[in-house]
Amino acid sequence: MEIAGILAGILEGFRVTALVTFYGMLWAVPFALIAGVLQYFTHGVTRFAVTCVIEFWRSSPVLILLFVLYYSLPSFGIRLSSMTVGAMALGLNIGGYGSQAVRAALQSLDRGQVEAGRALGLHRLHILALIELPQAAAAMMPTFVNQFIQLVKGTAIVSLITLTDMTFRAKQIAELQYNPVGVYTSLMLAYLIVCYPATLFGRYLERRVHIEQRGNREI
Amino acid sequence: MKFSLDFALSVVPVILSGLFTTLWITVAACVGASVLGFTFEILRRSNRWLGYVMRFLIDVIRSTPVLVQLYFLYFVMPFYGVTLSAVMAGVLGLSVYYSGYLAEVFKGGIDSIDTGQFEAGKALGLTRMDVVLRIVAPQMLRNVVAPMGNYFVSALKATPYLAVIAVPEMLGIALEVGANSFRYAEPMIAVGIIFLILAVGINQLVRLLEKKMLASSAR
Repeated sequence: MEIAGILAGILEGFRVTALVTFYGMLWAVPFALIAGVLQYFTHGVTRFAVTCVIEFWRSSPVLILLFVLYYSLPSFGIRLSSMTVGAMALGLNIGGYGSQAVRAALQSLDRGQVEAGRALGLHRLHILALIELPQAAAAMMPTFVNQFIQLVKGTAIVSLITLTDMTFRAKQIAELQYNPVGVYTSLMLAYLIVCYPATLFGRYLERRVHIEQRGNREI
Repeated sequence: MKFSLDFALSVVPVILSGLFTTLWITVAACVGASVLGFTFEILRRSNRWLGYVMRFLIDVIRSTPVLVQLYFLYFVMPFYGVTLSAVMAGVLGLSVYYSGYLAEVFKGGIDSIDTGQFEAGKALGLTRMDVVLRIVAPQMLRNVVAPMGNYFVSALKATPYLAVIAVPEMLGIALEVGANSFRYAEPMIAVGIIFLILAVGINQLVRLLEKKMLASSAR
């Protein structure tokens, strides 16, 4: 098989890669927002508890999280599909990183924003949803895009729990025909096609935020 | 099968026998990634066309999963006459993967050095090599301690990937224990807890070193 044929074979796994990414986002985004906001709002013991949860998902290597969930949940009577386990492990790991971007962005806002909201008589949650989060979103975006890339790349590990994603397909093809050069080069190419545009977009956003911040300093 | 605490405790010493491998691989990968990343960044700045090539190379490294890069090194390199042992392929793979991120970190670090420093070096008649190693590198290091530390911790958390190419680090040993005893839950939870403690501990250590380095360089 020529490179084109191999690449077509690998891209058959794109659906699974995309699905794991999508379900991973469903775990990551809410977790990042909720955990980040909670860490921002709480103090003392509550904050420590929130930090512990975030650190658990963030500090554990994602491959270990995946294997721990995949192999040990059944012995506690919890049976989940490989897809759910993969999306959960990846999503919560990435969400843990994302939560730090949310918290940092909220903390870097001017105090006057919250005070203005209070002066207008808004509820604290309204201040969060209408004033703080929209402004913090711009600062969070570059990290979110970068974490999204990490998530897409991270999905390669679900090939180890028998999901037929692009990496799994590549290994299957490599077993059928002895052509590792063609297969693994194509696999690199497949991920590059998916992630390279996102990498460029992330850099563009980063540069824009930097320019905005420089603009703020000069005022 | 029910979870057995006794069995989990009994596998801890076995898994810990891989601790040294995990640690030295991490250190070797960090050194390799720093040297490689710095070289990439200096080459990127050396001339325009080489700059485009290096920019693309760095983006390719950042846009493909570390797992795929490991497969590539381990299965493809032998075809070009470079046969690497699993451990060497692993160290090289992690070095290459993190060099892409560190190059980006060094970029920021070098950007924040005053242009006058380069000009002063040139005015003193230093060679390019001397300017890079004696003027740029030391000043850059002070700017990049924190993000470098983050990537070093990240490299530690990436060592479990080496289990897929049969390197006997901690996850590799845990998987072997699982395969031999047909019980995966206990070794996985054990290795998970060990890694969590290790990652949190080393993270604290890196933060401490950062503070020390920054305090000693502040004048």
